[in-house]
Order: sequence, then structure tokens, then C-alpha cells
Amino acid sequence: MPHIIDAQVDVELSADGDPRAFIWNRFEHTVIGQPQAVFKRTRWWENEGIPTRIDTELWRLDASRGGEEQHRYDLRRGMDGSWVLALDWG
Amino acid sequence: MNSALGTSFAHLHVASAYSTHYGVTLPEALAEQAAAQGANFLAVTDRDGLYGAVKHVRACVAAGIRPGLGAELCVHDEEYRPLGRVVVLAHGQTEGRGYAALCRAVSAAHAGGTDRRGTGQRGTGQHGTGQHGTGQRSALTPASTGPSISRAQLADLAGLASLTVLLGPDSDVGLAIARRDNTDAAARLAHWQRALPAQAVVLEIVCHLAESGTVGSVTPATRMLALAEKSGLPAVFSNAVRYGTPDEAVTADLADAARFLLPLAELETPQTNGQAWLKPAGAMRQVARMIVDAGLHDDGALERLLRDTEQLADRCSLDPVSDIGLGRPRMPEARVIGVTGDPVTELWRRARSGIADLYSASGSRAVEAAHAQLAHEMKTVEHLGFASYFLTVSRVADIIRGMGIRIQARGSGVGSVLNYALRTSSVEPIANGLLWERFLSPQRQTLPDIDIDVESARRHDIYREVFRAFGSDRVSLMSMTNAYRGRGAVRDAGLALGLPDAQINVIAKQMWRFNARDFRRALEEKPELGALAAEVRESQQLDLLVDLTARLDRLPRHISVHPCGVILSDASLLDRTPVQASGMGLPMSQYDKHDMDPMGLIKLDILGVRMQSAMAHAVEEHHRLTGESIDLDRVPLDDAKTFELIRSTRTLGIFQIESPGQMELVGKLQPEVFNDLTVEISLFRPGPMKNNMPLKYLQARHGEVSPDYIHPRFEPILRETNGVVIFHEQVMRLFDELTGCGLGKADVFRRHLGKPEQLPQIEEYLREKALARGFSVKVIDQIWTVLAGFGSFGFAKAHGAAFALPTYQSAWLKTHHPAAFLAGLLTHDPGMWPKDLIVAEARVLGVPVLPLDVQSSALDYRVEDLADGSQGIRLALPELVGSTEAERARIARHQPFSSLQDFRDRVNPRRRTFEALARVGALDTFIGYDRARRHELLAHIQSLRGTAVVIRADQLAFEVELPVPRYSGDRAGAITSLELRGRTQTDLELLDLNLAVSTHQMTRFHALFKELGVTPASELGNLPGGTEVLLAGVRRATNTPPMRGGRRVVFISLDDGTGPVSNVVFFHDAQERVGGQVFQTNYMLVRGRTRRSGARGVSVTGENLWNLFDVARQVKERHAVERAAAQEAASAAAYAAELAAHPSAQLSSSGASGTLHQLNAAQSA
Repeated sequence: MPHIIDAQVDVELSADGDPRAFIWNRFEHTVIGQPQAVFKRTRWWENEGIPTRIDTELWRLDASRGGEEQHRYDLRRGMDGSWVLALDWG
Repeated sequence: MNSALGTSFAHLHVASAYSTHYGVTLPEALAEQAAAQGANFLAVTDRDGLYGAVKHVRACVAAGIRPGLGAELCVHDEEYRPLGRVVVLAHGQTEGRGYAALCRAVSAAHAGGTDRRGTGQRGTGQHGTGQHGTGQRSALTPASTGPSISRAQLADLAGLASLTVLLGPDSDVGLAIARRDNTDAAARLAHWQRALPAQAVVLEIVCHLAESGTVGSVTPATRMLALAEKSGLPAVFSNAVRYGTPDEAVTADLADAARFLLPLAELETPQTNGQAWLKPAGAMRQVARMIVDAGLHDDGALERLLRDTEQLADRCSLDPVSDIGLGRPRMPEARVIGVTGDPVTELWRRARSGIADLYSASGSRAVEAAHAQLAHEMKTVEHLGFASYFLTVSRVADIIRGMGIRIQARGSGVGSVLNYALRTSSVEPIANGLLWERFLSPQRQTLPDIDIDVESARRHDIYREVFRAFGSDRVSLMSMTNAYRGRGAVRDAGLALGLPDAQINVIAKQMWRFNARDFRRALEEKPELGALAAEVRESQQLDLLVDLTARLDRLPRHISVHPCGVILSDASLLDRTPVQASGMGLPMSQYDKHDMDPMGLIKLDILGVRMQSAMAHAVEEHHRLTGESIDLDRVPLDDAKTFELIRSTRTLGIFQIESPGQMELVGKLQPEVFNDLTVEISLFRPGPMKNNMPLKYLQARHGEVSPDYIHPRFEPILRETNGVVIFHEQVMRLFDELTGCGLGKADVFRRHLGKPEQLPQIEEYLREKALARGFSVKVIDQIWTVLAGFGSFGFAKAHGAAFALPTYQSAWLKTHHPAAFLAGLLTHDPGMWPKDLIVAEARVLGVPVLPLDVQSSALDYRVEDLADGSQGIRLALPELVGSTEAERARIARHQPFSSLQDFRDRVNPRRRTFEALARVGALDTFIGYDRARRHELLAHIQSLRGTAVVIRADQLAFEVELPVPRYSGDRAGAITSLELRGRTQTDLELLDLNLAVSTHQMTRFHALFKELGVTPASELGNLPGGTEVLLAGVRRATNTPPMRGGRRVVFISLDDGTGPVSNVVFFHDAQERVGGQVFQTNYMLVRGRTRRSGARGVSVTGENLWNLFDVARQVKERHAVERAAAQEAASAAAYAAELAAHPSAQLSSSGASGTLHQLNAAQSA
């Protein structure tokens, strides 16, 4: 069962632009392997004003805190570049 | 290239905005963005064509990157089974072989679509058919509509290593992969490999990082990559780009909605997300990594994918000159234009003999001058190598003349003695002061351009004949790109949002007189949009609509055949432009007028001008009735009566000078000679109007100020326009006089006057040279102010003179043959005014328009000699609303008819047409023209049952009577048709003909006008200026001409049936008072003040405006009240009298006292 987190986090990107690590609850979580990005479209016409993007950016990645067991997470990047840790898939 | 691993990524698959309803970014923006992102290559691969190709190549040259060209095409197999969409890319450095194969592939797709029913705009293949959408489901539906090329044909064209075919997600291979059917995918790929030459097939990997399980996700991409590895084929990486930046994804959504004709919320296959943008190298590499990582690929897979992409880009880099032939003009081969020897020699020969014919009557000096000018012009022609061009154009002119069609050259080409001598043009240039250099000089960078006006009704015949004469491999029609404008933009934006049609219609009706991208500002500024602005503030959806409409504005919407452009070239034409069928069936280039010059394509504008048809019709009618032939081109240009008519401002119907503004200017200018018409037409242009040139000219012309020539050396140049600079030719001569730069260079300066950044350079040069040539600083200051202020405005005198000729000719016809001329106008409808007004003009000129009659009405308007010796014009059959062409043709063919039975049998009209004919009186011939019996006639026709007897055309009619029963007594009254009851002949005509000929539709208001004190239009001219007046009538025209000062002015022309229109002008303050009515009310009452303009002209400044129907209703109500009051008063008086006579009568009658009370109340009120 995924666990909803919905917390603002700081994300460190690699030179290629992939998330390499994020800091959540003061702990750094290191990304393991190639993270995958997914862009989901929105029904923007139901909202006010023209959006700058019609999709939301989600990154699904495996990460672990220190030497702990790795979890699968969904990170969401907002239009303004800020990051939200959306889900913990366990 | 060594950038495979660097910061550059080569996009091989990009749709520009010229992929209409699909791509949304213009090629120029794409090329700039690619260059800014560090790319050194960019391909544009538009859907079904090369619509944006030339613009793309030029944009790449400007941005300093290498262009690639391709097209997204549907392919089918030998059994017409669809194979999806592929990208076909042309190979470069092949001396044009790759580009030629691409052009031919696109043309073949358009010629070979399995459905040939479509016409016109079918060409773009994306019009709402949704056949080839982004979705996987739709790409494999049968290729029943839209262009498609057979794989065998594609294989042929791909030979000699000319083309590469990319099989991507929309190909049959990609679709099999998406179905997870790897076996089928491999089999289909093998089929492609067998069918196409080795190395012509490449797999295209696309991934938009969509959610797993949807189109554009990583999984199919990685499987496609695996298929490439397994089959040993190269794979290339693309982003199947539809827009430049992520924020344009919204616009692409709108494009999808417009393509599928569905609201966004109902799209079955909307774009999966907003990732189809022109991503920079880093982002592309990131996606590629995810693809490789998602599958089982070997270590080098990522670098190999990027390297193969880069290598294909190298292979597909086109050289603008050697591959595409940019900037190299190609003329038809000499033998095609009937020349056996050297074209230059032939041109000299024809021109010399033309001069001998045309000038000898004007004396030897004229002949000498013409020969000298010819020598001057031929020097340039030889230098530029354009001899074949002139021969080609004159050959076309000969073809048209040979068909007996009126022809008139227009444009700067009229300034050439060579064109005159070749009879391409009919205006003599030397005496008219026209300049060759305005047309052609070594300094001019562009190909010459000669426009030919012909009779509009014969234009298609001409095209076919030109195709026949030159061969269809050398001729093509030109296309034009239609871009979104206000109404279309708001409709498609509204559709996308799912707004109700009715609501969109109401908004769309208000979308005019401003640009859609300024929608929001217009809402704030324009008083007539006040109500809409309020709604927008209330509604989130409407607010969105405003911005979405602005997004669509100016985007290409569809292509259609250009109204006049014909491309003439040599036999290589179809290697240099793709063609598709136009609406009229002839092939049309996918390139538009902006692409002609860069592509070295010679374009001839053969423009259908309705006035030429109208004049031809008048000449024909005159010939039919009298046997006399009029040669309009030989009519003397100094006919006093013609100028008298023009000066009277009764110019309705006359070419170029019939608009309200022109009427006013003609009235002020009072033309006396032909050159005055040239000046008049040239003055009535946005540039001169904005610069107040008409007023300056008129003041000098009428001696209010003396002409200011600034310097005696300028006087010869400026004398003809009283010191005011009006013509381009004058500016050129002034430059030449001031600097001695020569007229060719002078024309370059003239054109640069419109570019503010060029002005300092020009000024410096001019000052230096002019000082040296003896002009004082003061004179130079003065003339420079004039020249700099002139800008690029003004008009080529060549244009003005070319327009003035048909102006004069049509005025001459109106003066001397009004009936024939008006018949021509009514048949071909050349002008700005609706037909009702021409009918009204005919009435005023004493030429009645005769009602529709199946015995005498023809397919066009015919002049009839009337019993009293005068002439009338018979209404034409096509005016009958709802009748079919076949029905009308049968009527015209079988006239006259012996009886109603005969009519019914031979014409076999549909019930609807039959009844309409009866209603308007066209069948009155069968009831002895007794209008009273029309009820019977209509009832009789409606009672007819069963089918008419079909008789062959050559067979005699059955002489079986089909009499209209005649009723009398009580029954006569009973036979009233509801359709006729209470309706006047005018009502019926308006209903079934949209045109009232019996009486003017305003006649029924005349009593009202009299009561209100409305001034009839015919008497307006007698009023002094400043008189307060009421005007009324039906709106005939609305103009918002350009005005000095920039504030919008609205001219409304009102027709009340008494004479010419009265023109009312509403200035800004009045517009605010009147609001939307200024555009929306059609029947109106106006209060205003007269304003005299010149000797004859009067116009009215409008102060307020009412809907005429409202006024009529109010007056009627008032009458009713007054009538009631009068009746009450009368009965009260009678009662009082009775009381006086019988004092004993009781007063307690409630009825009577009640009435008295009411009366008292009414009186005290």
C-alpha cells in the first residue's frame, strides 16, 4: 500500500538533471539506479487561466536512507521547480 | 559531426505550424530556438506536405543551422491496406535528387490517396477527419480519406539513396509494438526491408515519458529499440515534436480539438501529455537514458542511438542552393513559348515591331522616344537574363486574348515600354510618366511581377488553357495559407471549451475590426463590446476563451488555392514543388506567395476581376441588341459626358470610385482628364490619407494655396500633382535629381524610406550629393522632410494608371449605355454595394428592372427593349433562392412555354421551386398577368399530385391543358394562400429573391418618414452645411476607413429608396453614445448634422441612431392611443350632445360615466 506523504523536500539533481538525492525529515535519501520520470496530463480547461504546462512531472525512484532498506518513492515537481515527496510505495 | 555526445541534438521529426491543426509553432521560431539550444541541424517534417519547407530552410539559413526536410506521410500496401504514418526524409548533398524525390513522394501521396472524391481543402488531409490522429487506434483505420502513398511508389522514389523512411510509433511496425505483438512487428518490418532499398529504412524511437500503458510511454520505446537491435537496423531518436516550448502544449490541445471537431473534454485520444516540445540536447539525452535503462540493451546502446541519429541528420542536411535550388529562377524552355532561336533576339524583334505598330500614329518623336526607352529596358533584361520571362508573360497574354477575353495588366509592370510593345499591358507608359525602374532594375533583388486582370467569369477557362499550352509539368496554381483570424479563432477556442454553439455565435459576430490577439484589450477599449466584457468578468470559462482565442490568432489554418497565382516554370517544376489537387481540380503547389521568390518560381497573377466581366457583359448585350461592337480599349479617353457623370459623384457601380469615401473625394477633386483619375485613385489609399495628402492636393488644385515646388528643378517632377508628392515615381525622380544616383538606385532608396533604421544613412548620402549638385541646405532640409515623411506610403503611378483605365471605361459605359452596363453589374456583382442598391440606381436612371418571368428571364441579366422605346433589365433566374442550377438551365433551354403544363413537363421543377416561382409572379404569364389570380395559381400548383410527365427535350409538348381553374363569387375569396396573404410583392420578392425589384423595400416607410420629417437622400444635396437632419433607411455598407489621428470612424451608407445612398459618419463620441447599434442595426433612423464637402458632396455627422422598427412601433402605438382618445372624445361629445338634447336622461349609466372619467383622466394627463 502506498503511503501518502505530501511533504515539501529538497532535491539534489545530477548533471543530467535526474534526482540523485532528496532530503526529507533532515535525512538524506540517496537514489539508487535510474529514476523514471512520468508526465501526466491535466484537464487544464477546467481551471482558471492558461497554464504554462499541461502536465505534472512525477519521478518514480528507489532510494534509501543511509544503509537502510530501499523504498520506492514518487517525487512531484511543481511548475515553480519546487519538489514534493508525494508517495512512499514501501 | 562530432556533437553526438555534446550539447547538440538533431531533431529529425518536427511538425511546424504549417501542419495545420497539428503543429503550432512557426518554422522561424523553431529554427531560432534550435540554434539557441546549441543545435546545428533541424528538420521540419510537416504532415502530408512540405507546407512550411521554404520558410524552414530560410529560417535555418538565417539562424546559421543546417536544414533538413521531410514529410509525415500515410502509406498503404499493394492492396490499399494502410501501413500507418511514416516520416520520409530527403538526403542532402545529392544535387537535389533527395529533395526532388521528397517533392514527388508528397505529390504522389496527394494524387494516390485512395479517395479522390475530396476537393478543395481536402489537401491538408487533417480537416476534422481525425483519420490520422496521435492515437494508435486511428492511425490504422482504412486510408479512405486524405493523402496516402503506396509503398511500391515510395520504394521507387527512395532508390538511388534519395530518401530515408523512419518507421516510428505511428507506423504499422510501431503500432504492432504498442499492441505488444512483437512477432507481427518483426514480420511487418521484414516486409518493409524487402520492399525498400537497403539502408532506406530506419526505426524511430519516440518517448514522451507518458504513464505506463499509454501512448508515448517508455515501454514501447524500449521494445522498438530492441527490435532494431535484433534486426540489425539503425534506430534514431526523435521527439515527434509538435511545438517549440512546453507552454505551447495548450495550443496543441486546441489544434487537436479543432482537428477532431470535439471539445477537449470529449477527445478520445488527446495528446498523452505536454512533452512533444523541441527539447534541448540534455533533456533528450535524459529521456534516451531512461529508454535504454528500461529494457535489456547492451552497454553501447545509448551512445549508438544518439550517434545514429546524428549520422542520419548529417545525411539529411540539405544545401539550400545545390539541393533545393534556392534563389535560382527557372523560366519555361524557349520552345514552349514558341521561340526557336535566341530568346533575346526574338524579344528584340517582337518589341520593335510592337513599337512600330503602337507609336507610329503619335509621330516620329514618340517613336524615337519609345525606341530609346526600349533600348534602356532591354539592357536590364539582358543583364538579368529575363528575356524568357517577358516572352512567357506575353505568350500568356496572347493566349488570353486569343480566347476573346478582356485583359488588363496591372502593377509596376505597366511602367514598361517593353510590356506595352509586347501588348502585355495596355497603358502607354511614357506619356503617363511611368517608370521602368519601379518595375525592374539591376538593383532590385526580387523577380519581376506582372499582374494581369481578366474577366472573372472566364478565369478557370484561362487556367486550363495555360496548363494545356505549357504542359502540366511546367505549370501549377499557387496556394495560399489561410491563417486564423478573430472569428475562426473564437469559434475553435469555443469548440475546444465545449461552449454552446449559440453562445459562440453571438461572440463570433462581434469579433471584427480588431485582431484576435488583442481581444483582451479590445474588450477594455471598445464601447460596443461592453456587454461581452461584463460577461467575461463573470465567467471563468469566457475568461479562458479570450486568452485561447488570442493563442490561435495568426496560426495557419488551412491552405487553399490562391485566387490568381499561376506558377510557370520549366520541366523541373515538379522536382521543386510538391503539388496537390485544388478545388477546381488543377494541381496546386504547396508553396505560397512568400515562397515563390526564394524558390526561383515565376509567378504570374492572373486575377479575375468582376468588373471586367461586367463590362464584357455590357458590350455583349449591346451587341446582341444592336449588332454594334464596342471596343472599350479604343474608346477616346477624353469624353466630356463621361467626366460630367464622374464629377456629379453619381459613381455607384463605377470601378474603384463607388465607395462613399471615393464619392466624396471625387466630388471635391472634380476630375477633368484621365490623369486626374489616376491621381484620385492614388490619393485614396491608407498612406496618403493618413498623411493628409488629399487635403494638400485639393487646396493646391483649387487654387486655395499656390503649389510649392520647393525648387525649380523639382517643378517638372511635381507639376502634375500641384507640388504634392503622391507617386512612388515622383520620389524616385526626386532622389535621382538630388543625388544623380540613377532611377534603379532611387527605387532602392524609396523602398528603404519605410525602414526608420535606414533613414540616417539615406539622409547622409542625400545631403552630401545634393550639396554637390547645387542645392542649398534650406532646399535639402525641406525636401528631406517631405521624403522622410513619405515613408513607404504612396502608390506606384503605374498601379493608379492601370486602375484608372477600367474606371474610365466603366464610367463611359454607365454614361452611354446605362441599361447594358447595369445588366453587367447585376450579373457579375463586381462592386461593394448590394444588388438592391444597383436596382435602386437603375430606377433613378430610368431603367426599370423587370420582374422574374419564366418566359423571358435568362441565366444572366438581359436588357429588353420596351414598348415605349426605352430599355429595361430583366431579373435573372439565378436570383431565385433555393432553385438548382439544373432547374434554371432547363427553364432557359425550353423558353418560351406554351402553358403551365408545358412548363411543368419540360422543366420538371421541384415543388419548392415551382411554388417560389408562383409566389414571386414568375408564372404570372399563365394567368394572363392578373396578379389577383396568383392565389388560385399557387393553390392549384399545391394541389397538383403525381409526377410530371417526362418528355424528351426534342419532343413536342403534350397539348393537354393544365388550366388554372378560375373561381368566382364566394369561392374566389376562399382561395387565399397563407403564403400570399397580407404580403406585398416586395415582401415576396425579398423572401424568394433577396432582392426587391417591384418597389423599394423602404417605400412602406415613406409615410412614416414624412410624418417624422425625415430628409430624403435625394434632397440631402440641397441642404446647406450644419443643418440638423433626420435620415432613415436600410444599411447598405459600413466602412471604417483609415483616418488621420488613428481614432476609428464609422461610415454607414443608408438607402431610403429615393436616390443614391446618404452617408452618415459616426465619430468616436457618437459611437460611445450609440454603442453596438452602430454595427448591428440594419434598419435605422439617424439624427445628425450636414457637412458639406466640396462642390457636390454632402455627408452627415451622426449624433444618434435608433432602430427603425422600434420607432415605427412607437409611432404606431402613439397613433393607437391618439385614435382611441379621439374616439373617446367623439363619443363623449356625442353623449354630451345627447344629454343637452334630452336633459332627462339618467346620468347614472356606469359605462358613460366611466368613459367620461377616463377621458378626463386622459385630458388631465
